Amino acid sequence: MQAGLRFEQLTNDEKHQHFMQRINRGEKIEADDWMPDDYRISLIRLISMHGISEIMGALPEKEWVPKAPSLHRKLAIMAKVQDEMGHGQLLLRVAEDLMAPLGKSREDIMQDLFSGKLKFHNVFHMEAPTWGDAGMIAWLVDGAAIISQSMMLDSSYGPYARALKRICAEEVFHAQHGESIILALAEGTPEQRELLQDSLNRWWTSLIMFFGPKSAKETGNSNADRNIMYKIRTKTNEELRQEFFTKYIPRIWALGLTIPDETIHFDGEAQMWIYKDVDWREFKQIVSGNGPRSQERLDLRRRSYDNNGWVREALAAQKAI
Amino acid sequence: MSEQENQFYNVYEVFSKKTDKAPFQHQFSLLAPNADMALVMAKENFFRRETVADIWVVKRENIRGLTQGEREMLKRMDKNYRETKGYGYLKKKWRDYNQEQFTEKHIMGGREESR
Amino acid sequence: MNTKTMNEQEQSALIELIYQLGDDDFILAYRGSEWLGLAPHIEEDVAFSSISQDMMGHAAMYYHLLEELGEGEADGLAHLRKPEAFRNAILLEKVNGSGTYLKKPDYDWAFTVVRNYFYAVYKQIRLESLRLSSYEPLADAARKIITEQYYHLMHWELWFKQLVTSTEEAKKRMLSAVGKAWKDFGGVLTLGPSYSEMVKGGFIEDENLLKKRWLNRIEKMFVETGVPPQGEPLIESGNGRKGEHTQDLADALTTLSEVYATNPASGW
Repeated sequence: MQAGLRFEQLTNDEKHQHFMQRINRGEKIEADDWMPDDYRISLIRLISMHGISEIMGALPEKEWVPKAPSLHRKLAIMAKVQDEMGHGQLLLRVAEDLMAPLGKSREDIMQDLFSGKLKFHNVFHMEAPTWGDAGMIAWLVDGAAIISQSMMLDSSYGPYARALKRICAEEVFHAQHGESIILALAEGTPEQRELLQDSLNRWWTSLIMFFGPKSAKETGNSNADRNIMYKIRTKTNEELRQEFFTKYIPRIWALGLTIPDETIHFDGEAQMWIYKDVDWREFKQIVSGNGPRSQERLDLRRRSYDNNGWVREALAAQKAI
Repeated sequence: MSEQENQFYNVYEVFSKKTDKAPFQHQFSLLAPNADMALVMAKENFFRRETVADIWVVKRENIRGLTQGEREMLKRMDKNYRETKGYGYLKKKWRDYNQEQFTEKHIMGGREESR
Repeated sequence: MNTKTMNEQEQSALIELIYQLGDDDFILAYRGSEWLGLAPHIEEDVAFSSISQDMMGHAAMYYHLLEELGEGEADGLAHLRKPEAFRNAILLEKVNGSGTYLKKPDYDWAFTVVRNYFYAVYKQIRLESLRLSSYEPLADAARKIITEQYYHLMHWELWFKQLVTSTEEAKKRMLSAVGKAWKDFGGVLTLGPSYSEMVKGGFIEDENLLKKRWLNRIEKMFVETGVPPQGEPLIESGNGRKGEHTQDLADALTTLSEVYATNPASGW
């Protein structure tokens, strides 16, 4: 910063320069720090999408909460779905503080979700028709989430990094909860193994899609580059997907399961996994609210939100001054 | 309706101490209408697993923090006369008298160990 | 007292009592778990879920006591019994509202708050009595559960107070929920047909004493918050302690055992 000048006296260009110096030095930006508009907008987009995905992500697993097949499983899956809601709470709080200067709040996030303006992760638009899916979601969907979240643990935005730290600590429990379910099925009866294989078949494409397209050309827009420049994230979509393959494919095979992609293999020369790419137009359709369960889940969320409007109003009347 | 519902939200900052001996530490924030509700929510939202010995909730509005300009001014000049690193030469001085310089531990009351 | 010094009648009264305790917590925890993801706001969703988990954990503790008393494996007790074998009060099995947790859940938050508040007060009183139970494993369980119960009660008491003293609409909904819960809360307060053996065995205190303590505490809250007196709590929908139940319980049991029942013998 220019010597002798108070921060408030700097021009916008000088503030921007100062901001980039801080980013490049690895300093953390806080909610009430000056930040360029596109940094704020990128963060709001990323974090509100992440947060609302946690909230919507509770719904497919929630379908299995009352049905979980033992007292222990009932408790564990309840705790797991509760954590997802808790992660949503942390992330939405971070997004809300970023939105506050724009005059927006949690109410706007909910309304944006209902109007389709705010999208959520492709995986949570999908069906989860069997108990095998409860295991698959916790094992591989959460496994994928851990990879993309832990990449951002050192994000330049301090509040996001702190929320992710709390979240990742709990993801370890989720991963083990998922492993415990799928191992019990893998070691169970032929019917139970079939449940597991069916579920893998059902989720594979969604898992590939989870990390997003390789580059901007598949969907026509990608915010990944800007986010890397601002050190919000450090890796590309494809790097994350490859990490996921390396981490999980050997385990999937070790359990004797078949990946529904006969072309998939590790290319030793290129040092990367070769796999059948997915139809990214379908991905776009799904996240735009046209997935197999998109509308049902949105209806469920909207209905419970509207039904309980009177509760929020009643509490508003008890607001401390 | 939007206006009405926005008003539901007070931001409460949540602090906690892990054990009796630990100092309070900031944890996170949450939305609640009043302190009683904030406290009940804080317990389950942030301390489901870890142990906790006490919890505070503080309405964010009531916290006066530094502005960014004020924070920048914290990066102050060296003042070695009030830090131990300004007194490094003492070690050699005491050696001249065949004495060891007291360590922090000695000074804080570990006297019986000194010769 | 232990199972060796107990006579047959006493032992069967003890088993009845533990079924009541376990089933009350189990079914209300189940109703709570249906709310997961659908509560009025996110912070409450998380808080409520902790309570449901704790309660289901308490049910599991009671089922393990029954396992020790030769009633069979805890998971089987939770998942495979017929509705008529359940001993929970009917009020606690009633649905949260119309619709299901998967489709059109028009759940009633006022009823949820009132039912849980009333029950939390009773559970606290019941645990304070069980703490001194002559059956040591039960007394021991009660002493463990009571520490968690403190925060459950604090939670629901706060919700009750803040809603019933708020907007006209909230007050109206809460009073109607109080009326609804009152019609069947008598079913929670009774210890059922073998009540005198339970008391004689020193497993728990007289049900009239517990009921009086409950009424005192609730009436104090009513006065504080301006809720009109409701008279004597009733048992309108039947007595769950006798194995009488509604379709709501049968439906809940079908759902909660759907996966387990496909193959109870295999590990899940």
